[in-house]
Amino acid sequence: MTPTLAHYLIVSGLLFTIGLAGVMLRRNIIIIFMCLELMLNAANLSLVAFSRYNLTMEGLPNYNGQILVFFIITVAAAEVAVGLAIIVALFRARQTTHVEDLDSMKF
Amino acid sequence: MSPLLCLILLPVAGAILAMAGFPARKMAITAAALNLLACVAILASFQGDKTGYQFLSSCPVLPSLGISFTLGADGLSLVMLLLSTVVTLAAVTVARAPQTNAPWFYASLLFISAGAIGAFASVDAFFFYMFHELALIPTFLLIGIWGSGDRQTAAWKITIYLAFGSFVLLIGLIGLYLAMPVGARSFDMRAMAEHAKLGTLFAHDTVHSFSIFGFEYLSITHAQIIYLLLFLGFGVLVSLFPFHTWAPQAYASAPAPAAMLHAGVLKKFGLYGIMRLVTPIFPPHVAAPFNTLLLVLLLGNILYVGFVTISQRKLDLMLGYSSVMHMGYIFLGILSWNALGLTGAAFMLVAHGLSIAALFALSGELRERTGTLDFSEMGGLAKAMPTFGLLFGFAAMAAIGLPGFANFAGELMVFFGAFSAGVRSSPGFNAFQIATVIGLWGVVISAVYMLRAYRRIFMGPLVDRWKSLADIAPLPKLCVAGLILLLLVVGFYPQLLLHLISPALIRP
Amino acid sequence: MNAATVPWIILFTPLVAAAVILFFGRYSKPFSAGLAIGATLLCGILSWWLFTQPDATEPNQFFWINLPDIFSVPIGVTVDHLSKVMLVVVNTIAPLVFIYSLGYMKHEEGYWRYFAGLSLFLFSMLGIVLADNFLMMFIFWELVGLSSYILVGHYYPKDSAADASKQAFLVNRIGDFGFMLGILMLWLATGTAVFSQLFTSETLALLQSNGLYLTIACVLIFCGTVGKSAQLPLHVWLPNSMEGPTPVSALLHAATMVAAGVYMLARFFPVLEHVPAARDVIAWVGGITCLVAALMATQQDDIKRILAYSTISQLGYMVLGVGVAESWDVPMFHLFTHAFFKCLLFLCAGSVIVGMHHEQNIWKMGALKNKMPFTFLCTIAGTLALTGFGFHGIGFSGFYSKDTIIMWAVVKAPVLGWIAAVTAGLTAFYMFRLLIVVFLSVPRSEEAKKAQESPLVMVVPLLLLAIPAVIGGWPFIEHIFFHTTEPENVPSIVHYALLAMFLGGAGLAWVLYRRAAKDPVSIPLFANRLYIDNLYTWIVKVFQDGVAWLAGWSDRWIVDLFVAQVPSKLTWACGYVLRFLQLGNIQAYAFFFGAGVVGLIYLLIAR
Repeated sequence: MTPTLAHYLIVSGLLFTIGLAGVMLRRNIIIIFMCLELMLNAANLSLVAFSRYNLTMEGLPNYNGQILVFFIITVAAAEVAVGLAIIVALFRARQTTHVEDLDSMKF
Repeated sequence: MSPLLCLILLPVAGAILAMAGFPARKMAITAAALNLLACVAILASFQGDKTGYQFLSSCPVLPSLGISFTLGADGLSLVMLLLSTVVTLAAVTVARAPQTNAPWFYASLLFISAGAIGAFASVDAFFFYMFHELALIPTFLLIGIWGSGDRQTAAWKITIYLAFGSFVLLIGLIGLYLAMPVGARSFDMRAMAEHAKLGTLFAHDTVHSFSIFGFEYLSITHAQIIYLLLFLGFGVLVSLFPFHTWAPQAYASAPAPAAMLHAGVLKKFGLYGIMRLVTPIFPPHVAAPFNTLLLVLLLGNILYVGFVTISQRKLDLMLGYSSVMHMGYIFLGILSWNALGLTGAAFMLVAHGLSIAALFALSGELRERTGTLDFSEMGGLAKAMPTFGLLFGFAAMAAIGLPGFANFAGELMVFFGAFSAGVRSSPGFNAFQIATVIGLWGVVISAVYMLRAYRRIFMGPLVDRWKSLADIAPLPKLCVAGLILLLLVVGFYPQLLLHLISPALIRP
Repeated sequence: MNAATVPWIILFTPLVAAAVILFFGRYSKPFSAGLAIGATLLCGILSWWLFTQPDATEPNQFFWINLPDIFSVPIGVTVDHLSKVMLVVVNTIAPLVFIYSLGYMKHEEGYWRYFAGLSLFLFSMLGIVLADNFLMMFIFWELVGLSSYILVGHYYPKDSAADASKQAFLVNRIGDFGFMLGILMLWLATGTAVFSQLFTSETLALLQSNGLYLTIACVLIFCGTVGKSAQLPLHVWLPNSMEGPTPVSALLHAATMVAAGVYMLARFFPVLEHVPAARDVIAWVGGITCLVAALMATQQDDIKRILAYSTISQLGYMVLGVGVAESWDVPMFHLFTHAFFKCLLFLCAGSVIVGMHHEQNIWKMGALKNKMPFTFLCTIAGTLALTGFGFHGIGFSGFYSKDTIIMWAVVKAPVLGWIAAVTAGLTAFYMFRLLIVVFLSVPRSEEAKKAQESPLVMVVPLLLLAIPAVIGGWPFIEHIFFHTTEPENVPSIVHYALLAMFLGGAGLAWVLYRRAAKDPVSIPLFANRLYIDNLYTWIVKVFQDGVAWLAGWSDRWIVDLFVAQVPSKLTWACGYVLRFLQLGNIQAYAFFFGAGVVGLIYLLIAR
């Protein structure tokens, strides 16, 4: 059985759901962060899959999707750099990575 | 460069130099004096026999929206410019340098002046609006930083109030803009008046009806909504009853020169705006349904605020309320919607500006000397400082509209204008005439509070505490005497101003 | 110099003097006084010269306000018989009072202020006299109020003087309120306020087409008189204004300024004579004032206040005269004679006050006739003139003028006529009371024993004024100035009644006060001026100050509540509610965000 677009999309959807669930439910900020990355990668996967299965007239893949993936990877890398730095700084200041302890902006 | 732009930029330049470290007071006085000279020069080269704006200069800013930086002056704006420059000079001269941040203090004063001048010299409604808003910022700073008493509250109150009024006004302005035919829309006041004249403004006026349970309780046309928005928006800026409570508090807290500039000049923006954007544009039948409502409000200014003024026990609050009260007369003149009433109202703008500036200058001087303005602590001061008492007497008599001072001529025209306004009803009086009769009683009320204040402060036995009070210093004396002299000159020969004002107010 | 420019010179000379004194007067006493006196003498001479010239009615040349086709206030002078007579009266008395002031004010401070005020007053008064339209008259009308304020408040460090000056101004403003309304109504109906245009037959016909309107307008205009001429119910300021220096009382509050109200009515007479209803009101106000003020005068102890109430009473006669007589000559004739004898009486009182070292209570005086013989003689002349002593066509000046008014009143409105006649008896009573207590009987204090005659500079004006006070009403003089007519069918009993009134009043005073050490009669109702002053104080306190207090309170707590506090609190409350969305949980925010996106997508797609 050859994998079809639907298979890729199902995996991508599963990955995204896992990521979303992690963001919503986990309390450790680093894990939330990793889940965020997971959601980005789910998007990447579906983009690549669309690129591969949406052939142009000449029979070539649609590279627009792949280029967008590169952009996302670049942005994600920058985001990791900034985000991790914030988390490290936060940890130094508050000695915790637990989101429930980070509620000083509460009413 | 257009001479009017010079007029705006001179105080700005003075302010920048003052902030840059040059001697602030000297810079401020020099800039204000030069500005007055420039204004007189503009007046001298004004061709009185022509109607319409002169000294026009225009620079498109957003052509797609019809916004351009257009400056111009006709008789009315020229008179207001003259008032602004005169009061500015008086204000910066009587101002005493505060302990802290003196350069910023003087710069703020000059910025208010620049804003007011810019508003009066603008022909474009957008910049007209913008300049006024710009002038509010230094007003806020002056009251909040260098004020006295509960200055923070007063500063916030005036700022939020005026911002609210401006917001209502802005909606009205945009509505007016949108009422013009597509493709010919412009913020140029001349274009607005022109459209109104041709009938292309509100060409497709629609009636909005509001009903509850099938009972129609309000039916109002688009034009009327915009009329109300503009009138009330400007009204809030001029402390129309009941939107007046910011004024006395702010004037009582503000340093004297700021109160002079705001009460004397900047507040007149709203009334000037009505004369520019409401009376020449809206036909009387649009305004007529609201006359009763607005007459009641302005009688609130005259009678109700008049009584509030009587009840005051401090000079600064009393002056603040009295300036609110006098706005009622000007509204009465405007609302009468005829040439006589409008001319009287425009005349009163100048007269009231000069007299209230003189009064605030004197009350500021008095506070500097005694540290209090409470009537109960005063008494017999004319004995200790006769010249001060004499000057205050002159200013007070001007404020209560004694013949010989400009205020009387203005009030007279307003009353005659209002008395002949509206549709004659026979027998009996129409609403305008009844309002005039009630408003005329305000003349008695203003005499009551002014003479009471004068009696309490300057007459009676001299209180021991004030035995060694020094009389007014030469420079403030010169300023106040100058203001009073102007009031007298204009009061003895009102035609001086009427030549300028009345052609500008003739409805197209 | 011609008859056209002279009125202008007369009008503006005192203003120039006042301005110069204001700026330079404080440096030199003689300069201030000299300038003021010089100016008024010039006015006096020119006025008499003008009187010999024919009337000159010139069209208006100057406009104070001129908005073509809309509104104009011309500044023009009327030179007719009425204004010429009034000019003569004002400018004859004024120099005498100015000169008298030299002596009276010699040791007072504020010399320049005093003379500047007097000059300003003269300017304003002449403006009223010469005005050719109601608005110009109103301008000067207000200005005399100002000069009265300045002059009454001359001793401003005294509380009583300060209050009196304030009251004088305010009460006059109330009258002016009505006056202005009357002018507005006339203007609205006719489109003009110029006398010569108002008095044309077309305008009169137009006005008469709406009788009630015209009557109301006339009564409102009369309000100006009620204020300025101190008629009931606005009379309270005049006795209080006696706080001013005595020459001021003589010139402003007896001879000229208070008579301006009557002059105005005379000026307006061409319209007034066609409005019988308004004249009825005027006559009744005048008649009641004249009686009530005389009653109050009988129980006053202050020499100046007695004269002040007497002035109110005599002004009442004049106003009554306007109401009943067939021409303005009758009230103006009384104004003319009254100006001289009342001014004389005030100046005599001033002389007594100076002699008594500023004691004004008549019960501290007594037996001054030998110490102050000239003053005594002049007071007798003034008293006899005021009380209208005379019979069968021969008498002092007041006899002619007052009796004419009474006769007109008897014929036209008998009740008022007899009120006026009784008042004549009261007048004799209170004036002889004053004369007897002050100059005859026995000295009642040390000052009275040591009193001295005043200096020549004060006595000479007295003697000069005494002449017109005595002869001013004699027919040959009267005919120079007036053409009074007496009504027909006067019951002859009136003449005898008036003589009886005089003798009765004077005799009663003689009996009661000849030897009295203190007032043997005590009628608190009259001594307290019918409690009207108290009533007004109460009204001001309860109504005006009460309403003011209420307004002040509501402005602070109610209006401010609705336009400032409530919106402010509402804004705050909205913020307070919305901040509960700040859960402080990052995942909740993420959820809100997601829900928002889903909601938006739903809105965009599902609709």
